[in-house]
Amino acid sequence: MTREIAVVAFAQTDHRRSTEESSEVEMLMPVLHDVLDRTGLKTADIGFTCSGSSDYLAGRAFSFTLALDGVGAWPPIAESHVEMDGAWALYEAWTKLLTGDADTALVYSYGKCSPGSVRDVLTRQLDPYYVAPLWPDSVALAALQAQALIDAGDTDEAALAAVGARSRADATANPHAQLTGRVPQGDYVVRPLRTGDCPPIGDGAAAVILAAGERARELCERPAWIRGIDHRIEAHALGVRDLTDSPSARLAAEKAGAFERPVDTAELHAPFTAQEVVLRKALRLDGSVRVNPSGGALAAHPVMAAGLIRIGEAAARIHRGASDRALAHATSGPCLQQNLVAVLEGDPR
Amino acid sequence: MPEVLKAPLVVEFPFTRSLGPVQSAFLTGLRERVVLGVKTTDGRTLVPPVEYDPVTAEEIRDLVEVAPTGTVTTWAWNHEPRRGQPLAGPFAWVLVRLDGADTALLHALDVPGPDAVHTGMRVRIRWAEERTGAITDIACFEPYDGEPDQPGGHTGEFENPLTGIVAPARLDYTYSPGRAQSDYINALSAQRTVGERCPSCRKVYVPPRGACPTCGVATWEQVEVGPRGTVTTYCIVNIKAAHTANLDIEVPYVYAHIALDGADLALHARIGGIPYDEVRMGLRVEPVWTQGARHPDHYRPTGEPDADYDTYKELL
Repeated sequence: MTREIAVVAFAQTDHRRSTEESSEVEMLMPVLHDVLDRTGLKTADIGFTCSGSSDYLAGRAFSFTLALDGVGAWPPIAESHVEMDGAWALYEAWTKLLTGDADTALVYSYGKCSPGSVRDVLTRQLDPYYVAPLWPDSVALAALQAQALIDAGDTDEAALAAVGARSRADATANPHAQLTGRVPQGDYVVRPLRTGDCPPIGDGAAAVILAAGERARELCERPAWIRGIDHRIEAHALGVRDLTDSPSARLAAEKAGAFERPVDTAELHAPFTAQEVVLRKALRLDGSVRVNPSGGALAAHPVMAAGLIRIGEAAARIHRGASDRALAHATSGPCLQQNLVAVLEGDPR
Repeated sequence: MPEVLKAPLVVEFPFTRSLGPVQSAFLTGLRERVVLGVKTTDGRTLVPPVEYDPVTAEEIRDLVEVAPTGTVTTWAWNHEPRRGQPLAGPFAWVLVRLDGADTALLHALDVPGPDAVHTGMRVRIRWAEERTGAITDIACFEPYDGEPDQPGGHTGEFENPLTGIVAPARLDYTYSPGRAQSDYINALSAQRTVGERCPSCRKVYVPPRGACPTCGVATWEQVEVGPRGTVTTYCIVNIKAAHTANLDIEVPYVYAHIALDGADLALHARIGGIPYDEVRMGLRVEPVWTQGARHPDHYRPTGEPDADYDTYKELL
């Protein structure tokens, strides 16, 4: 019998252009306390802790071990870390709970983009033989994808601008968002992408608590049950992929059961406007689905936390009864190379 | 709030990477102005070539030469090139499917402006003057309106094939240590050592990191500790430091954990002013400051009687 596992609490920082006055653990700790407070749990009650982050962002070696100061890791706790977005840390925690080794898990992630140049930092994740020596920055690669979509007739610059405008308008209802309201579309950063097509650069952190079965019902009035979760990856070579499609997102969604019944909400991790176009098509989201009511990654994009935040935002909507069945998506790598899809549901009301 | 401390931080590393047989042939080929692809078992030609089929993961080794001419499959106009990118002036990023290939290669296209580039346009490789066996042996692409070049049928066998590359990487940061460590560093510059007490377990952490690692709660109550302390444990260093800042230190020397009076965590520092073989657990020490320094240069014996083991055994 498969265990039922739910997101029972979610917390995040206000996302800001810079948190230079705080170290990573100083930025993260209030979020950890916030998410624990929502369940009444203490760190000692948590069965498994898993985090996602990248030391490259802030250039601070082993920052993830220093961040552990914030969870109170003594006496020794069961703990793991992925050098990925926190959504993948959540996936690991979910599998841990499935084994029955733990009943609760704390998942957190953080990203401090402000100390470095995230456009350049992300070049270091590319193929080191054929691609990284050219230093193609993250906006340039997203722009190649956007142009491919425009050439294919899937979108145009006005439609892309509308994605950004809708996201930032929705973000006015999100007190944690960094970029909200009417934001000028701006000049080209790398054509065809303009400032408004790109995510804000900023720092932030997020945390989620998972719980299994009855424990979830004790900790949360309306748990967001993870009905399915899966992640898939495509080839790393950009020239091998069809950049106008996302077969990995589609397959992850299929394996997560997303196509079995319609969802009412989708939180998509699309840092660039054109990527929302790709994902809507791959995930078969029509106009009836509320996409990124939080404002999404175009309103706040703490790298390594932005995917986990999508799961948290979707879960929080279920917690407060604004959604019954939601899809949450996270991405990693250039041009949506790797994709994770989770399907969350609330108990019938 | 006091001023946030900041300092430039450059992380630089030359990655030395070995090459597989396909990568070696491709990069050696670029050195010789030959572009090689690799055939998959379903008959497609991948350029740039990889060692394993991206779909089936089969090992693929069947090299085939392709033309230095090709077609742009997508592009992006880069009006403000960044450090390390192929061209210093504005250029287009392009994916190019070379004639004879089924997949596209990422590179730069040298054209005067965005109006001079479109998907489907014909381009050819402009070779770098000096070639070493790297993707940058292709200086960039340039517009080309001639017939497709015929590939030469090269087998991929070269004299002196490359076996590895050195890929330099450099990232620039502005480092800021955060609230607790800034306070610590600011106090040190006034020759004071200031830790922080955990509100829960009452332990005093030096240096403070803003959180109690045992309780997982924020620390903020500042506690001045030392300046004197006790050696809790130590080691004798016999290897001369490679770092330039430490070149003046003669070996052997002693590096020790020191529990400053009032602190619940030992910090570490060099011990001087005493022969290395006379340092011992329980030795009482004090900091020695040099002119203008932001931290003690080393610690030296105070001359007090050694501390009783029971006074520091919890701090080992």
